[in-house]
Amino acid sequence: MADTVGTDVGFTAEEEAFRGEVLSFLTGYQGLDGYFHRRESSAEGVRKLYRALGERGWLSLSWPREFGGMGRSPAYEFILWDEMAYARVARPPMGPGLVAKALMAHGTPEQCARFLPDLRLGRTNFCLGYSEPDAGSDLAAVRTRATPLADGPDGPGWYEVDGAKCWTSNAHWADHIWLLCRTGAADSRSRGLSVLIVPLDRPGVTVSPIPTHDGGRLNEVRFEGVRVPAADRVGAENDGWRVVASALAVERHVQFPPKRLRRDLRDLVAWTGRTGLDGDPVVRRRLSGLAVRVAEVEALALALLGEIISGRPSAVPAAHHKLAGTLLTQDIARAAMEFGNSEALIKDSDVEFMWRQAILETIGGGTSEVMRGLVARQAFGLDSRG
Amino acid sequence: MDFERSDTQRALLDALDTLLGRYAGTGRSREPAARGAYDHALESELRTAGFLDLFGDDGAGPLEATLAVERISAALGAVTPVPHLLVLPALGLPAHTGPVALAAPPAGEEPGPVRYGAEAGLILLAGADRCVAAPLDPGQAEPVPSAYGFPLARVAPVASGQGAELPPGTAATVRGWWRVGASAEALGMMRQAFDLTVRYAKDRTVFGRALGSFQALQHRLAELSVLLEGARWLVYEAAFLGAPAEASAVAAAHTTAALRRLTRETHQIMGAVGLTREHDLHLWTLRLQALRAELGGMRAHRRAASAARWGAAAA
Ligand SMILES: Cc1cc2nc3c(=O)[nH]c(=O)nc-3n(C[C@H](O)[C@H](O)[C@H](O)COP(=O)(O)OP(=O)(O)OC[C@H]3O[C@@H](n4cnc5c(N)ncnc54)[C@H](O)[C@@H]3O)c2cc1C
Repeated sequence: MADTVGTDVGFTAEEEAFRGEVLSFLTGYQGLDGYFHRRESSAEGVRKLYRALGERGWLSLSWPREFGGMGRSPAYEFILWDEMAYARVARPPMGPGLVAKALMAHGTPEQCARFLPDLRLGRTNFCLGYSEPDAGSDLAAVRTRATPLADGPDGPGWYEVDGAKCWTSNAHWADHIWLLCRTGAADSRSRGLSVLIVPLDRPGVTVSPIPTHDGGRLNEVRFEGVRVPAADRVGAENDGWRVVASALAVERHVQFPPKRLRRDLRDLVAWTGRTGLDGDPVVRRRLSGLAVRVAEVEALALALLGEIISGRPSAVPAAHHKLAGTLLTQDIARAAMEFGNSEALIKDSDVEFMWRQAILETIGGGTSEVMRGLVARQAFGLDSRG
Repeated sequence: MDFERSDTQRALLDALDTLLGRYAGTGRSREPAARGAYDHALESELRTAGFLDLFGDDGAGPLEATLAVERISAALGAVTPVPHLLVLPALGLPAHTGPVALAAPPAGEEPGPVRYGAEAGLILLAGADRCVAAPLDPGQAEPVPSAYGFPLARVAPVASGQGAELPPGTAATVRGWWRVGASAEALGMMRQAFDLTVRYAKDRTVFGRALGSFQALQHRLAELSVLLEGARWLVYEAAFLGAPAEASAVAAAHTTAALRRLTRETHQIMGAVGLTREHDLHLWTLRLQALRAELGGMRAHRRAASAARWGAAAA
């Protein structure tokens, strides 16, 4: 069955030419498994890839020129990470994306000068320290505490950080953690949070693995009496919620590249061919339904990109896209299991791995329920508080 | 069919639970599962206590045997309860020691990977009409890596003339009891995953209240419980009726649909913690995926149901 659904509408000739450059760049990275990190050794390859991208200026495509960026449309970033996802080579790094853009908006000139050059060149990797055992969807419940030191050998001008983050992706190979922590009263919710940048090799930081069903690894990151200079706080004290919210907003167009789905479907269709299932009308009908939904998600991704390019609020289109895309990735993955052929169970075959991986997608990066709630509240003003 | 559990049934299941408390359970399952091993000690205990003879027992019968399969599976017993408790006795075959493989490949094809295929000494191969009971040489099996709790292997091809060809109609007996049995296994596992999730919804606090107090989740748990109850009664009914083609296919089709929804919802409601290997949820949800691949899965169950009701042409 041919794969005929298209996303390549609506991009300019220059943007399409850039896609061509990306595709030829990617020929040097086939086999790198940095999208799923099925092997822990992938981290080293991904680090190298990010440096190669950095040297080309591709980690700062849409950064303003005054920060050393290329000043291009976010469409370029979309194309880059969409093709990376199709090739399963890598996901967009947090550092030059979310962290750098938040620094440009909320950081001091000194912080920008200190972090941006290495981020642009792909030399520094960040992970995101938001979630905790008791703060996931309810992020304002974060408890990891940063206590300002009044006196002592290091203070004032320092914090001492204590607490634990969990489910932290990539903490085992990143250099820094972008840490959301409590600086206000215990019950201050979103009004008492601050963002700190903490090097992961600081004394008192411990990273330990949390193995997941896809054979991958998330991490627990513990902080015990970790000293952090106040100069590494991004934004004002207790203004961390705003920093985090705006950081989220600028990266939505690359968070869930829709071509991943096209690739998932391609792999599934190829598998039904290999197993001889593709002659069954029930199977074909299911596949065509999935192909329609891939087109739907691609359309939602482009709608979202349009909002980001125009600078309009994008939370609702981003939630539409994330909801539809992550549910679809699961439905594609499930189809092989549901066709009732035990070949689909053989560990680490394409379709088998997809099943174990896809179940993570409707939780990570904001759950489906959080997305649904956001649409109901922000698009329609439905709120329990009236 | 009596809807109330009889005293005999209750006493029987209590005894079984006690046995399983010692020879099955989450702790024990992680260990043989990690090695991909069959639990011979559990099988032997079940045999000694008479649980493998329930099917033909005067004081019990196929329904009790099905209830026992459900319990063994809920407790993650690493044995093959469906052939031992249901299929072998339904065929009137003698008991067998060690794992038994079941297969019903499409005409002319070899079976795909089967549970415990690398250790099984006997296979029951359902053809179009007859079933063949053939010895297997475990040394000839080809294990395949499995991420779904049960060890899997391709068994050596059964040459024609090998093994005993059973009378006409026995293939339908195998399919019927296999459908009932695999559905009963699924019931046991689904119930455990569901209970775990309900407990979590009660215990976890988000936004200052119990997770389960959010209506969006309450409705989904309620819908799951409807699916589970429906599956339970369809499976018991099919067992009670002797696993006729239509009832067993309907039970399996509904159970497979319930399983799909249950897997999605339990993992969703548990959030990140349910996606980790330290948490128990996956001990059931991953095994459930292996069950739904059996017998041709949902497509085949639905086809079998419509063929039984409206004739082969309708399928
Ligand atoms: C693969 C993966 C990668 C991740 N990477 C990172 C990372 O790098 N950094 C980081 O900080 N975190 C990371 N996370 C954590 C992720 O952000 C959280 O898991 C997520 O926010 C959900 O939190 P939780 O798991 O605690 O679930 P909970 O918040 O406890 O939610 C449990 C369930 O209840 C639902 N729910 C919650 N509130 C409501 C409500 N009001 N109404 C209806 N339903 C509700 C949720 O949607 C979910 O289904 C990652 C998670 C995964 C799976």
